[in-house]
Amino acid sequence: MLDTASETTLLSVRGLSVVADGPDGPRQILEGIGFDLKPRQILSVIGESGSGKTVLARTLASWIAAPLRVTAGQVLFKGRDLLADRAYARGLAGREIAYVGGNPAGALDPTMTVGAQLVEKLRAVRPDISASDAKAKAIRLLQAVRIPAAERRFHEYPFQYSGGMMQRAMIVDALISDPALLIADNITQPLDVTVAAQILKLMRELNSEFSTAILFICSSLPVACDASDEVMVLNKGRVVERQTPDRLTAAPQHAYTSALIAELPTLWQEGPQRRRPAATEKPIMSVRGVSKAYETRGKSGKALVQAVRHVDFDVFAGDNFGIVGESGCGKSSLMRLLTGLERPDGGQILFQGEDVGAASARRLRELRREFQLVLQDPYGSLPPQSPIGAILEEPLKIHRIGNRAERRDRARAVMSEVGLHPGLYESLPTGLSAGQRQRLNVARAMILEPSLLIMDETLSALDQTEQGKLLDLFERLQAQHGFTYIFISHDLTMVRQVCSRIAVMYLGEAVEVAPNDRLFFDPGHPYTRALLSAAPTLELRRYRPEDCLLEGEPPSPIDLPPGCAFASRCPQAFDRCRSQNPALLSRGGQALAACFLNPTNEATHV
Amino acid sequence: MSSMDITSAPPEIARERKVSTRIWQQAFASVEFRIGLIVLTLLIAAALLYPQLSGIDPTKMNIKAKLTPPVFMGEGWTWAHPLGTDQLGRDMLVRALVGLRYSLLIGVSTTVLMLLVGALIGLFAGYFGGRIDTVLMRLTDAQLSIPMIILAITILGVSRPTIPSIILVLGLAGWPVYARVMRSTVMAERKKEYVRGAMVLGATDWRIMFTLLLPLVLPPMAFVAVLDIARMMIFESVLGFLGLGVQPPTPTFGNIISDGRKYLMNAWWIATMPGVFLVLVLTSINLMGASLERARNAIYGGA
Amino acid sequence: MFILRFLARRLFQGAIIVFLVSALIFTLLRVVPGDPVRLMAGGMAPEALIEQIATDMGLRDPIWQQFGRYMGGVMQGDLGQSFVRPANGAAVGGASFDDTTRSERAEVLTLIAETAPMTLQLALLAMVFALIIAVPIGVWGGLRPGGWPDRMALYLSSLFVSLPNFWLGIVLALILSVKLQLMPAIGYQGFAYTILPALVLAIEIAPFVIRTLTVSVAGVMRQNFIDIAGVRGLTRNQIVFRHALKNSSVPLLNLLGVQFSMLLGGVLVIEFIFDYPGLGLLTINAVMQRDFPLIQGIAIVTAAAFVLINIAVDLIATAIDPRLEY
Repeated sequence: MLDTASETTLLSVRGLSVVADGPDGPRQILEGIGFDLKPRQILSVIGESGSGKTVLARTLASWIAAPLRVTAGQVLFKGRDLLADRAYARGLAGREIAYVGGNPAGALDPTMTVGAQLVEKLRAVRPDISASDAKAKAIRLLQAVRIPAAERRFHEYPFQYSGGMMQRAMIVDALISDPALLIADNITQPLDVTVAAQILKLMRELNSEFSTAILFICSSLPVACDASDEVMVLNKGRVVERQTPDRLTAAPQHAYTSALIAELPTLWQEGPQRRRPAATEKPIMSVRGVSKAYETRGKSGKALVQAVRHVDFDVFAGDNFGIVGESGCGKSSLMRLLTGLERPDGGQILFQGEDVGAASARRLRELRREFQLVLQDPYGSLPPQSPIGAILEEPLKIHRIGNRAERRDRARAVMSEVGLHPGLYESLPTGLSAGQRQRLNVARAMILEPSLLIMDETLSALDQTEQGKLLDLFERLQAQHGFTYIFISHDLTMVRQVCSRIAVMYLGEAVEVAPNDRLFFDPGHPYTRALLSAAPTLELRRYRPEDCLLEGEPPSPIDLPPGCAFASRCPQAFDRCRSQNPALLSRGGQALAACFLNPTNEATHV
Repeated sequence: MSSMDITSAPPEIARERKVSTRIWQQAFASVEFRIGLIVLTLLIAAALLYPQLSGIDPTKMNIKAKLTPPVFMGEGWTWAHPLGTDQLGRDMLVRALVGLRYSLLIGVSTTVLMLLVGALIGLFAGYFGGRIDTVLMRLTDAQLSIPMIILAITILGVSRPTIPSIILVLGLAGWPVYARVMRSTVMAERKKEYVRGAMVLGATDWRIMFTLLLPLVLPPMAFVAVLDIARMMIFESVLGFLGLGVQPPTPTFGNIISDGRKYLMNAWWIATMPGVFLVLVLTSINLMGASLERARNAIYGGA
Repeated sequence: MFILRFLARRLFQGAIIVFLVSALIFTLLRVVPGDPVRLMAGGMAPEALIEQIATDMGLRDPIWQQFGRYMGGVMQGDLGQSFVRPANGAAVGGASFDDTTRSERAEVLTLIAETAPMTLQLALLAMVFALIIAVPIGVWGGLRPGGWPDRMALYLSSLFVSLPNFWLGIVLALILSVKLQLMPAIGYQGFAYTILPALVLAIEIAPFVIRTLTVSVAGVMRQNFIDIAGVRGLTRNQIVFRHALKNSSVPLLNLLGVQFSMLLGGVLVIEFIFDYPGLGLLTINAVMQRDFPLIQGIAIVTAAAFVLINIAVDLIATAIDPRLEY
């Protein structure tokens, strides 16, 4: 018989405080945290970065080391204090209390097969289980998390798994010892939205099947609400409130929670929308049937990766054009083609009527004054050891514009225009925050006074507040200088806010190109619907994940199936989709989609 | 909305030191670097000053004072010859110090030469890739596959060794390692976004290679090259020992030890004492080099 | 099949390397001053006789012709004959040919084949010693970055790398062999003669092993999968011995491939000091005697050994870390 206390509470945290020791004395990370978790319950912990949620997760997993230090409190697991009894805690690690982190790619030894490591782990915590039983169990669980061909995958190495699959394997790793508690720390963070949605769905199923309690740590309120029975909000190391998802979103008790909800961008409701420039009809950049393939050396000799396939769209002057898609969809390759870093294998990229892909190296350099790129990574995109002023003057030097004094003045002027203190002129960018670095990148791109700016995931590394500020900046600069923007992004909510027309990419193709409202209210492609159904939002979804969510993984761009590339994952695919590739055709009103389900789509290309 | 409300932090917060400066500072903070630096400075000062100040000619023979042992090390020692004398009565201390001059000269010039040659070849191979890379790397492999010392003694053995020819031979034999390191660093850097950024701005390959990449990747390599100064000094002494270094009567560590080997049984210090001296110098250089390497790895955050 | 394609590609590349090495050495030997014929014939020989011998031996033909002839021989496994070394009776059937200038000379291939096993024995023993000395120091240092085992690794490797091999050889011979009479030093009359040279060579190699291991072990220990392994329930021993060491062994293997030539360089000097009858001593004597065919032959054999060792290293590295397979 189980005693009643452990039946009602599995984990009980009492007055937990953690500090980080630093040169300026200890800094409070967690303060007086207290909560209970019942068996089989899913509790989300949400908070922005710096709220202490990851430290909480690690403290519960007995994984904290200097400079972190517990100063007070109890962590009672089935009634016994983990903090007081280190040996007891160590005995539970990986057996009764399992942990899955947010970095599946580096979570297993790259030199051993996934299967061998699952068996190793199970037998480390449960030495009574024989190797063959452990293997059988691992394969059974790999099947349970829907890893295709689990028997074969058991013998593969971590690098042969995709990110989503690896995260499933890590969930198997955690559940294989039948733990009572699973700590899931930001497990969907590095994944694409459709994959993240799959993992969340899986987690809920496993929760009921294996009766494991789950502490789900994440930074996105919509994801937390989707995933759990109750949500606990953490702010600056303190619990500010705990409610069921419905009550939390309907009636937040704490001002911080209300602010968090108010700040969330919406996809369908009329919230505080941004000004979207009125589209002109004059194309500044026209992409005509552009294709690009890369040669890779695979295990079986050379192979062609078809990164971009027959992409067609127009970008109008003064417009905000969006290109969205998940990782591997070819948007980065397309960016390299649009910016002239690489030349297409086929098709044309016309910038103000001139073919960028065919321009001579010298002409291309001249053209570059007119279109510029702002890169994704705020840390990798700046030359590491140049002062800020020199970084800004570099483009002017390259194009031999102005003398030393003029360049200096210009650099300072641009700095204040993007909101960087001109006193930073001689500093290295080392001390700048991510947001400031992106401002510097924008400043460097606009110092040549281009007409087109291509933003490659420029805002992805920034938090919500910083994103908002930079979008304000973009809006202001557009009003002042009449820039045209192309936003390349994986983030639907961002694109929804700022773009007037949007292209959706899947496996190298633009499967849908449509005006903003049309795309979100009347999408013409099942992949777009899947993306919309998986987007993290608190709104009532127009597209339910049950109807639209994708199964499986995209096929490899090396051996694409004949027909529509999406057919293998499409819930509505029929025979024709598997033999013919639908063309991108008009659905009226500037909206185009490549799907046979749209009545007008008769023509095909292969 | 005004631009001032989103203005960044005040300037002093963002001001940061250059990476090279930080490496020097971090290395200098370690005990082993300081010990190395002090010992090396003293020895270099001695090598530059003592032979002149003492007025002793390293090649002057004095048969009456031959085979004097070092101080406290046997019958008949004298402060006039702190390290004793050799079979011809030449002062060992002065000979060792003069040997140190040549050793350092050759060690440093060789290292600089091979660093530059290797860096340039590696820069081209890594930046352009493709066919240029294949050709340059095959050449590097070929060069790496012949032991450096075989190459050096072959060339120096069949021609007459002089200081420039020794520097040239050792330098040319040592570049492949640098070319490889440089190539892989440049290949890694080239993939980074800031290089792409420079290309989009319209910078030429030449500009990217020499104003962006080289100033960035050469210093961390140069820090590690300090270790190679010591390695080249050993090579120089090996050549001297084999009779292929700077020729007698000019004293070098190699030829002193080679000579002394014949008198090992009755005057052990001739062969061993200059070696102790050399080991002292090399250890200081290696300690400094190792702490520079560590500081570099710590700051660049990798191996 | 991956392995076969890999081998074919690497052997082809290796052949190019060996060819380049031969061309390089061949040209070098003919461009630098110093006439081997004068050395063979003796300083007093009249100019005409020297020219006569040189022409007979084909040394006055254009370099590319000589090289073509030489490579033709190499293809058939003929590395030519030594200029100066007589064939000892046992090796070649008899010395009763008429052609006095050619048949009495030893085959280069035979000379190399006779000495190579000796060098192999020395190198292998040295490798064993080096690993015994360096692995514990290096691994321990890597497990405690910044701690005293790490410092000790730094100090010891800095000291070892500062000991010139010829000097160390002399000092150890003086102490261990002459003063303490523990082991023989000069010449070769049995396995015991290998120990001292191997020890000196091991001390030359050890610092590189120590340094590589401390860096790679420390690097692996910082990785996420090691960090998280404790939370997954693995014990410290499992983490260190099954995962950390395996992952840090790849850089060590690569070191062996890259530093192979350093190893051979050390062998050369050490064999010279200890009068150890291996490939190194043969090389030095060949250089001193301007024995061009022998130098060329040794260069080709070492280049081929370098190629083969690197192929083996890459194969083993791929077996350890399958990501390297491409």
